Amino acid sequence: MVEPQVYLEKLSAFSRMLRLEGLTISPQETADASRILVELGFEDRELVKTALRTVYAKSRQEQMTFDRVFDGFFISEERMRQQAKKQMEREAEMEQMRQAADQELERLPMELTQDQRNAYAAMPEKERQRLRDFMDKYRGNAQRNPNLYGNFIHSVFARAILEQQMLMEDAGIGCDGLDPEMGFMYRDISEFKETEIPKAISMIRSVAQQINGELSARRRNAGRTGLLDFRRTIRKGLETGGSFYKLHYKKKRKRRKHLVLLCDVSGSMMQFSEFALRFIQSLNQVSESSRTFLFSEKLFEADAFSLQNMDLFRGYVKESGVYGRGTDLGTALQTLCAMQPAALNTATTLLILSDTKTIDQPRAVAALLEAKRLAGKVIWLNPIPENKWKYIRSVQTMAALCPMVSCNTLSALAAACRRLTAT
Amino acid sequence: MKLEELKQKMDQARYIYDDTLAAVLAIALQLGRPLLIEGAAGVGKTEIAKVMASALDRELVRLQCYEGLDESKALYEWNYQKQLLSIQVNMGSEDKDVLTKSLFSDEYLLERPLLKSIRSEKPVVLLVDEIDKADEEFEAFLLELLSEMQVTIPEAGTVRAKSIPFVVLTSNRARPLSEALRRRCAYLYIEYPDMEKELAILRAKLPHVDDRLCAQVAMAVQKLRANESILKKPSIAETLDWAAALDALGVRELTPDALRRTAGFVLKNNEDIAAMEEETACGCGCGDCKGHHHG
Repeated sequence: MVEPQVYLEKLSAFSRMLRLEGLTISPQETADASRILVELGFEDRELVKTALRTVYAKSRQEQMTFDRVFDGFFISEERMRQQAKKQMEREAEMEQMRQAADQELERLPMELTQDQRNAYAAMPEKERQRLRDFMDKYRGNAQRNPNLYGNFIHSVFARAILEQQMLMEDAGIGCDGLDPEMGFMYRDISEFKETEIPKAISMIRSVAQQINGELSARRRNAGRTGLLDFRRTIRKGLETGGSFYKLHYKKKRKRRKHLVLLCDVSGSMMQFSEFALRFIQSLNQVSESSRTFLFSEKLFEADAFSLQNMDLFRGYVKESGVYGRGTDLGTALQTLCAMQPAALNTATTLLILSDTKTIDQPRAVAALLEAKRLAGKVIWLNPIPENKWKYIRSVQTMAALCPMVSCNTLSALAAACRRLTAT
Repeated sequence: MKLEELKQKMDQARYIYDDTLAAVLAIALQLGRPLLIEGAAGVGKTEIAKVMASALDRELVRLQCYEGLDESKALYEWNYQKQLLSIQVNMGSEDKDVLTKSLFSDEYLLERPLLKSIRSEKPVVLLVDEIDKADEEFEAFLLELLSEMQVTIPEAGTVRAKSIPFVVLTSNRARPLSEALRRRCAYLYIEYPDMEKELAILRAKLPHVDDRLCAQVAMAVQKLRANESILKKPSIAETLDWAAALDALGVRELTPDALRRTAGFVLKNNEDIAAMEEETACGCGCGDCKGHHHG
């Protein structure tokens, strides 16, 4: 039997680790946990884990963080051995892959950094084969003209490896293993398979319902001032002989904003625009009035009726003739700004759903500045993950002109909608 | 109360539980902390409070939350009409101070669930159901009660709990609850039961229903819940209703025809029923019987 003092010291360290992982742990919770631990001892590990989870974790997300920290902290000897064995196997496998990759790369007429070599080793065999085939195809040329073809092959390799590194950086990889529902929320929207779309839509519905709940609660609170309405109370009191039988309170008038949505529906943006529109349409209290414009090379206004049934949205966009074309943000914004009667004014919030990739960027920048001048507020929802913004010049330019929010996952999209409703 | 003792009492109440649930309940009881239960609608959150009341042999005091719920509906209210009447009756009395004081006595106090739960001589189980439907300011108001086990009535002062109730709060996560409220509670997240647990619940609640039918119902419900095109997942209560309906119709095997006739007991909207019929060849939700009957 271990002394309780030993538990308590460990528990104190454990609480600190939970805090480092972002959980809010008050001294009261540590005190509760110590009471439980002294009572239970440490004989039944699962029971202790359940008990401490009950005390420390206050939401489903926190429960998952707790489980991870607990499993890492209070590790059993058997598990430790298993983990060490797995780690050694993993390292040996990685070393083998590195050696194989080095042998393959030795045949190349170019220099790669160690990071690039590691990324090459981690690439799927299919991708590596594709690069090897490419290299074999140009081998003769490279030998004849090393300067010209050597650089060409190097640039293709470097780009493929960079793409692989970016893929590895993507958020949400591995989340599915923890909790499929949460993993779904944190996965890149562009990675959804066709079969997963109904699930994504049902999740959008449930999250939108949650945001609506928060919003209506906030509105109700804002609407109730708690002040007595003397005039109505006295008038009503006359009906009961001057006794104020029922008291009446003042209420504030609800004020909502006007929203103008500008959605890029060119080929690559279709999926994201559809999800984002579903979100925004589901938020029934987000604005007093909203107008939705769709654009690719041209701009046209989606009628409110067609947006009521989002299941028909894809077909509707295809019929409109803007689907699958290039993106011309400049023309879209210019048309929007020139509209009569004006679509944008100081009471409107312009929400742009686009990945910033457009033809004639200088014209798009000028048009965005004009739209910014006309509208009360401009917010850009970008489906490109924030960690890739630094690689794309058009994103950097647009982000410098207006607030830009990364919305590459359902979770980020929900956060953006929350932000939109709060402003 | 010790874990084994609680398990025994829950067994007596014929409640099906797993070790995690029993441990969480025992710990919340031992620490005297309110228990916040979250989970999808129909997983049995409210049932836990009822079972705890039965297992602990306590009265269940229930407060159903809704939009606009305030202190007057949850805690107390002065009987305004009775006070008015009293003022008019005693208009000519000499001692105005006594009259004023008497107007804010117990006689005119209408006790609501929260006040009732802490003024009770014997400890009760207090169920604050669907707290996510109440306003944020009501949540803030609950904090004093949950942490200090006391409430303040401006006209009458602070009322301290005569007995400490076991508080169960439930939430369907329609909106996130405040951090302050969460911090004061022990937390439990419930998911839909797995096949084994669902079957055990069916057997415990409907002992007269054929075992084979129960197994088929449990399996079909599991498949329906796993079906992503079904939006409103069947709850445990609906599983029980469905099994009872099949039994009442004299059905001994869950055939596609029996399912079509009774689908309304387990799926509650037309789109879901259509999705279920589309999804499975046989329509029984099993997805792998390819049109023939199975048992």
